[in-house]
Amino acid sequence: MTQSSVGIRLENVSAVFRHPDRGLVPAVREIDLEVRPGELLTLLGPSGCGKTTTLRMIAGFQEPSEGTIHIGDKDVTRVPANRRDIGFVFQNYALFPHLSVFENVAYGLRVRRMKPVEIAPAVDQVLAMVGLDGFGGRLPSELSGGQQQRVALARAIVIRPRVLLFDEPLSNLDAKLRLQMRDEIRKLQKMLGTTAVYVTHDQDEAMAISDRIAVMEDGRISQIGTAEDLYRRPASAFIAQFIGRANLLAGTVVERSDGMVTLETAGQRSAFRSAVLAVPGETLCAVLRPESISIGNTGDGMVAKVASSTYLGDKIEYSVIVGEDALKIVRFDPPEAERFEAGEEVRIRFPREGVQLLPAKR
Amino acid sequence: MQAAVIIVLWLLLALFVVYPLIELILTAFTGDEGYTLAPLVSALGNGHHLRAFRNSLLLAFLVGLLGTATGFLFAYTAERAELGRAGRRAFGLVTLLPLISPPFTTSIAFVFSFGPQGLISHDIFGMQNANVYGLRSTLVAESLTYFPLAYLALRPLIASIGGNLEEMAFSLGSSRWHVFRTVTLPLTVPGLANAFLLLFAASLADFATPLILAGNDLPVLPTEAYLQITGMFDLKAGAILSLMLLVPAALVYFAQRRLVAGRSYVTVTGKGGGQALHQALAPTARLLLIAACASICIFILYLYALLVYASFVVAFGANDTFTLASYRAVFTDGMTAIEDTLIIALIGMPLGGLYAVVVGYLVCRTKFRSRQAMEIVSMINYALPGTIVGIGYLIAFNKEPFAITGTALIIIACYIFRYSPSGIRTTVALLQQIDRSIEEASFSLGAGSFATFRRVMLPLILPAFFAGLGVVFIRSMTAISATIFLISINWTLVTVRILENMTELSLGIAAAFSVFVIVVVLVVTGILNFFLRRMTSPELRRSLSGYSA
Ligand SMILES: Nc1ncnc2c1ncn2[C@@H]1O[C@H](COP(=O)(O)OP(=O)(O)OP(=O)(O)O)[C@@H](O)[C@H]1O
Ligand SMILES: [Mg+2]
Repeated sequence: MTQSSVGIRLENVSAVFRHPDRGLVPAVREIDLEVRPGELLTLLGPSGCGKTTTLRMIAGFQEPSEGTIHIGDKDVTRVPANRRDIGFVFQNYALFPHLSVFENVAYGLRVRRMKPVEIAPAVDQVLAMVGLDGFGGRLPSELSGGQQQRVALARAIVIRPRVLLFDEPLSNLDAKLRLQMRDEIRKLQKMLGTTAVYVTHDQDEAMAISDRIAVMEDGRISQIGTAEDLYRRPASAFIAQFIGRANLLAGTVVERSDGMVTLETAGQRSAFRSAVLAVPGETLCAVLRPESISIGNTGDGMVAKVASSTYLGDKIEYSVIVGEDALKIVRFDPPEAERFEAGEEVRIRFPREGVQLLPAKR
Repeated sequence: MQAAVIIVLWLLLALFVVYPLIELILTAFTGDEGYTLAPLVSALGNGHHLRAFRNSLLLAFLVGLLGTATGFLFAYTAERAELGRAGRRAFGLVTLLPLISPPFTTSIAFVFSFGPQGLISHDIFGMQNANVYGLRSTLVAESLTYFPLAYLALRPLIASIGGNLEEMAFSLGSSRWHVFRTVTLPLTVPGLANAFLLLFAASLADFATPLILAGNDLPVLPTEAYLQITGMFDLKAGAILSLMLLVPAALVYFAQRRLVAGRSYVTVTGKGGGQALHQALAPTARLLLIAACASICIFILYLYALLVYASFVVAFGANDTFTLASYRAVFTDGMTAIEDTLIIALIGMPLGGLYAVVVGYLVCRTKFRSRQAMEIVSMINYALPGTIVGIGYLIAFNKEPFAITGTALIIIACYIFRYSPSGIRTTVALLQQIDRSIEEASFSLGAGSFATFRRVMLPLILPAFFAGLGVVFIRSMTAISATIFLISINWTLVTVRILENMTELSLGIAAAFSVFVIVVVLVVTGILNFFLRRMTSPELRRSLSGYSA
């Protein structure tokens, strides 16, 4: 690609909707976001958190009620969508139903007044890139969902936009196709080097496809980082539970020394290495991944009671009770003899390293 | 660009919708010394006017009941009785013909059948001087003319509550009759109410049928207003009578709006809720329904056959010799009317279609401050009885600064603003099916709003454009209630010629005119459908099929 990638910058951007009954509804609240040139950044968050709204403001389908948006060096806050040089892939594909696959893809080139002789090879090239050679003559209604999404992708990339925007492009596909398509999207985006923003509420998808993930919650961005950052160092309980699975064990700080923090839960103690600034008496939450907790009959560790055990072939899932909290534990590929039954008393041990301690909720 | 279009549209709406209505109201309420309520008070004290008011309401109420019942009978039978091919054809024909026939068709046929020389009254029952005029025949003729409206409104509803719901109730052990009574009927109630209001409004506004069939003992408002103006040259009395029509018409209109807005628990998808229950009807019930529908079908076809027959004989009932004289008269004396009507229809058609598509698009897909007002104002002339619109135009455009009485323009404008709203509705319905993201996709690919409209939206709403064309054409060929006030020496209409022939008792020529109109309408709508099919993709046609009416 000759054209160099550009970044996207949102500064203090807000979006407010006027709702007939509820008055003004803030959908996006004062977010700052920087997408680096050439990277694929995912907006991840639960339904209604403002992902689509943010993406639509970047596209120019909607004007922010406050703040500015830059694409490259240019302030595009008031630039309409058709002059932003973007490619948008919609959740429902949004193909033009009256145009053939070829004409759908050629559309952006035609409105750019490209010469007809140059259009055909360009269209054929991207159709080949998305694996649809020979489908040019069909109508969208004559394609499967996956094929339609490929047309939508081809239509967006054929114009070589500076920015690619995806709004849950895979959510209408079945699980297997979803995996395949997300790899293809990622490969194409890397190959073209186009800066991309990708919206999804599926954390697996987000982790698989992104350079970085921005987790949104209630109109705000609560954390940005690589998938690993978010998994290992969640900034809040919300993120801990949203990225991967997590137990939150609340405990009172009883001791802090040598970089170790000791928490007491239901009269039992456990120590974690942490740089967190905590004073004895304060309540903290330890983020404990189910697969990081070990379980046994004897030895040291906390005393817990098994509430349920579920055998799933390659793993066993336990739910155990400590004090008033229930913890999930996953044992992968356990030896045949190792099986704890509901009601049994067990010992559980937590890793000392790499456990995130967060201020307790509320 | 968009702002300019909106301003032009508002100017047109102000001139052709708001201004005539205001002029009408002012005329009604102007006394010798400025504005006064005196005319209204005296109108309410006028026994004759009050009687016309009462008759209009009574007739509309009865037509609403009878027409809705007939429409429901047909719709239910069509959806549940597993009709054969011939049955479906007959249903299609019988529910289409009344909608495209010129206004006096049923009335003429009634006279042929039940009048003094009538086939049934005179020839079969040997009655002398049978009296066809009065409430009974007006009621039946109007119901037969308007029941297709109820049928078209109810059929998709019955289809959509088909299959699953009834099947479920059925599987729970209910009897067929019980299912009908406890599931189907209650779910159809809002639709029945809607159909009733449709027919009520249609009958209230009907001018042609009562003019021929009501006779002297059953004055109704539209005919009274017409007679006051053309017979007594009393514009003011006509205005007041037509305003008396406005009150129930407005009430019905708002009731209907509320009903449609609150259509909550039955969603009409047009796709239908799966297959109708196999053998939804007990065999005897099925036979009874089919027999009832078949007799009505046969009766309607019989009326049309009489019409055709009468157009080919010297004098129906008196001299049954075959002759082409009636058609000769149509194509000689009647030729100017035919030419005028066709010119007006052909000019009005594309303008009306374009107007409908543009207004529909603006109202549905853009945001501007007066959007909702435009949606409402553009529907006014459609909702008002033709008599009101016609008298309003007569008053408003008879004087400076807009003296266009006597021109073709006034008739064309009347048709466009009165009949395009159905095209607006089709456009809106179609647009609501086209996801907004389709437009956004076009924007994101670099197209501006004009290019998007031309390349994407216009092709997609083309079906609505053609449907709009069809409606304007059909109405231009068949309408009379408003335009009867707007014709002149220079521009006259086929429907008015039919009326003149009726009053001159040249019934054969009136019949020939009617047959001619029906044939022309069938041919032209056939051509429109052909183009529609050629120009739209199969997928679009599928999504359109729910709207072609
Ligand atoms: N056109 C609108 N009018 C009013 N409120 C809106 C509109 N669009 C979105 N909202 C509101 O703004 C908030 C954010 O919506 P948005 O579509 O951005 O969420 P999302 O994160 O994309 O959710 P999802 O995962 O369900 O797509 C929601 O509370 C929503 O109800
Ligand atoms: Mg969304």
